[in-house]
Amino acid sequence: MALRSVTLPGIGTKYELETEKKDTIAVFFLKSGNIQMYTLQHESQTPSVAELTPQEARRLGAILTGAIMEADRESVEIAFSALSDLRLSLHTYLIGRDMAGKSLSDLQIRAKTGVTIIAVSRGENNIVNPPADFEFREGDAVVAIGETDQLKNFEREIMVK
Amino acid sequence: MQGIVLALFICMLLALVTKRFSLPTIPFYILAGLFLGKSGLDLVGADQVSAFLTHLGLIFLLFFMGLEIKPDRIWHNQSAIVSSGMIDLNINALIGFLAAYALGFPLFDALIIAAAFFISSTAMAVTSLIENRKLLMRESETIVWLMVFEDMVVILILALITPQTGSPGVMLAKTVAVLLMLYAIIRFGKEPIIWVLKRDDELPVLLTFSAVLGISALSIYMGIPESFMVIAFGTLLGTIDPVSFEVQSRPFKDVFLVVFFVFFGISVNIFSAGISLTVLVAVSIVAILSKYISGIAIGKYIHKSSRSGIEIWANTIGRGEFSIVIAALYASDLVSGTIACMVIVTSIIGAFVAKYSEKIGEILLRQKNADLLVRPAGDQEG
Repeated sequence: MALRSVTLPGIGTKYELETEKKDTIAVFFLKSGNIQMYTLQHESQTPSVAELTPQEARRLGAILTGAIMEADRESVEIAFSALSDLRLSLHTYLIGRDMAGKSLSDLQIRAKTGVTIIAVSRGENNIVNPPADFEFREGDAVVAIGETDQLKNFEREIMVK
Repeated sequence: MQGIVLALFICMLLALVTKRFSLPTIPFYILAGLFLGKSGLDLVGADQVSAFLTHLGLIFLLFFMGLEIKPDRIWHNQSAIVSSGMIDLNINALIGFLAAYALGFPLFDALIIAAAFFISSTAMAVTSLIENRKLLMRESETIVWLMVFEDMVVILILALITPQTGSPGVMLAKTVAVLLMLYAIIRFGKEPIIWVLKRDDELPVLLTFSAVLGISALSIYMGIPESFMVIAFGTLLGTIDPVSFEVQSRPFKDVFLVVFFVFFGISVNIFSAGISLTVLVAVSIVAILSKYISGIAIGKYIHKSSRSGIEIWANTIGRGEFSIVIAALYASDLVSGTIACMVIVTSIIGAFVAKYSEKIGEILLRQKNADLLVRPAGDQEG
């Protein structure tokens, strides 16, 4: 894997990466702020190009690094080996039409399943530790924390309704 | 005043339309000027206000160009820049000069035409590479560095050809003295300048505007080449914080440059200067062909491929801002009309050729392979 970066006057900065399988990926940070990403398959002549806004590029970057996304069913598990093998999972869910308009206290999530909603992402905003009267809207992405079994419960009891 | 407003509104409408079709805006601003001015309806004329705004457009364009110049980066890439740049310069300046001279222009006019003829539009080349999504092509780096070389030549021309009279030695000494003074101010005033730029009130923009105007006024007062000094000042300030200065000066550049282009068109009289349409068309066609020859030559030299040459040609056909600068600064009425026409024709044709370069390349090279296998590509047009 060879990474090369050059600054092109008037255009911006170029990062070019050749993958192990000889495909080429080039990313141009344009002076306009947008990002053009080229992918060129090995032995092909014509690249495919996508132009991204900075926000889209960050989102793509997050997907590529494997971090949690606002999309449904992304999760990470954290194990605290010093705390008698405590395993916690963080999971994201997208709020559908059925749950829209209900508040955290209406749904009784923690009481019923043991799962805690620790953050909600709504459009550009993130709400960390939403209060009990927080009302969900369709399209919100929520981050839930709990043990794997509790999250399974949460999916069955709350999300499906 | 009303004239400027009318011209700007027309330019705004034209910009809306041309951006919609991904065409360069510069030729249309000039066309608007031709239409409104001496060559057309004669609705708008130049006055003191427009002359001042036009001058601002020019110096902010040059300042912006200066900000982009990174001497160390150019130094590190000199091998890439010089070889292709010299091919480009030799072929185009020579053909431009010979064509203009053969068409009956006097010696000095022919030289000015050759300069304007040689300089492709950096703005158009960069926009076309980005909009046509050609940045990954190996030729795109060649094209970008070629534009840097051309910009260097522009600076040289602006530094060398000055309307000032007087001893060149004295002028050189004064220029060097002012440059050293600016260097010292920027070197030792770096901290306060950065402090001002970081503020969120009117100070950063006030600093940028008055500094650029100040250099221009100082140069005129001292009798040293103004255009060159503004560029050099931009390059010096670029060592502090190029992005911030770009952000601060961009609105001035954008608006006043439109005034500059449209009033250039207004001041030009294509028809009464005694130039036949044949000459105008001939210069424009030769301008397209000569970049073809240099493009193919560079493609063959750097990338060992005529196909690369076609791409280089396609993205460098358009002449633009710096050709107009040369015309506005040095050209007689006779020459201004010719250069205006060349910019309009080459930039519009260039935009189309750049967009369809692959197909055009296929057609051009297929014919070539069919009938000439022995002769090197590019020879037959010369």
